[in-house]
Amino acid sequence: GPLFFFLPQAGQMQLTQDLELFPDQSVTQLLFRDVKNCAELRKMLKVYLSLFPLLPKVVDLFQTLVAANKAVHLQKVGKMKTRSLYSEIIFSLSPTNNISEAFRRFGVSDSDSAVLVVLVHNKEDIFNKDDVTSKVDGQQIPADQISTLSDMAKIKKLYKVTPQEEKCGTVLDAAVLRMAAKEVV
Amino acid sequence: MAGMDGGSGGAVAPPSLPGAQLLKQGAEARVYRGRFLGKSTIVKERFPKRYRHPVLDEKLTKRRTAQEVRSILRCRKAGISAPVVYFVDYTTNCIFLEEITDSITIREHITSTQASGRSTETLYGLADRIGQILAKMHDEDVVHGDLTTSNMLLVGEEDGKPGKLVLIDFGLSYISALPEDKGVDMYVLEKAFLSTHPNTEALFQRLLKSYIAASKKAPAVIKKLDEVRLRGRKRSMVG
Ligand SMILES: Nc1ncnc2c1ncn2[C@@H]1O[C@H](COP(=O)(O)OP(=O)(O)O)[C@@H](O)[C@H]1O
Ligand SMILES: [Mg+2]
Repeated sequence: GPLFFFLPQAGQMQLTQDLELFPDQSVTQLLFRDVKNCAELRKMLKVYLSLFPLLPKVVDLFQTLVAANKAVHLQKVGKMKTRSLYSEIIFSLSPTNNISEAFRRFGVSDSDSAVLVVLVHNKEDIFNKDDVTSKVDGQQIPADQISTLSDMAKIKKLYKVTPQEEKCGTVLDAAVLRMAAKEVV
Repeated sequence: MAGMDGGSGGAVAPPSLPGAQLLKQGAEARVYRGRFLGKSTIVKERFPKRYRHPVLDEKLTKRRTAQEVRSILRCRKAGISAPVVYFVDYTTNCIFLEEITDSITIREHITSTQASGRSTETLYGLADRIGQILAKMHDEDVVHGDLTTSNMLLVGEEDGKPGKLVLIDFGLSYISALPEDKGVDMYVLEKAFLSTHPNTEALFQRLLKSYIAASKKAPAVIKKLDEVRLRGRKRSMVG
């Protein structure tokens, strides 16, 4: 029954959400703080980004879900702009179409201490959390606590959120809209 | 490919969202409600139209999808409420939008106010806000292209408490600084407004007054609106 899967629930360590448009696919997110080996992880991921992406500039788990959904969609229709699904997730977070800029701004840097890991997997697959936690030297905390760790000022700057815009919506709204609109601006 | 025998029939499968429910089957698009990434979402799917040349049709459909997204971004950046775009599938021309929950269209609101026997004067505050928002939108050089009272949503309007206005349906929108284009925009609204809602001339005048008061550029737009009205009248006298 569904109890064996990771149901989205407040306070859970990792959150799993189905991708409705791709019924066999799910996304699981894990959050870490006090990460000490970002430099090492960065080197590792540079050569092998099919492992997982490290995302330090996220306001809300919905933002990364949107990026993951888009990456899976582009993979299915053969229109990815980067080499792997996980690099495509990083690229999807960016409000611009410049790939190297996207990695510079939305990828992890040596000095980051909090990162979100986003895994796309088959819904039925038993998800082995140790694959991630064994590599990240940091403290895992409930994924839905992401907003307590995110640098709002930096994120607003990355997405160029205007003060007027904050009157009609949140920073998350602004980020998601720019991610969806970047092909047409 | 679903596009091959296009038509407005059932050639295109509805989006595979759990519990997707058709809200509106229009001439250009189907509008669904469903859950997407755990949120209440509206899916607007523009389908191919049989009577148009397939290449031209695909081009127009793509352009409308893109325009809808572009204008929503432009509006929200300026602080004008419009639904957040969550995701766009440019291969099937589907837009996934934030559902404005607990909203009704301005059309429904005006109709129910009139049906309940209340005076249209109770709607003056709303007319003022519509005028202000449209002036702001035109100041951003967004021309909506399909201004009707069905393309404006009202959230949380209660007795004595003004609700929030949200503009939708930007598929025919474009960017223009020309007073003429904005005048036509207001003319389209005037026509739709007065034909949908009987005996609302004074209410619409109130809306226009507020539009004029809200923007320095409005007088030039209203001048064009007068010209367009005159042309419309001449045309109807000839035809
Ligand atoms: N984001 C939304 N939230 C809530 N209701 C919506 C939303 N978008 C559309 N609707 C509803 O669906 C109707 C049709 O959507 P619209 O975008 O105007 O398509 P059309 O081009 O067919 O008129 C609207 O009049 C409104 O009632
Ligand atoms: Mg409409």
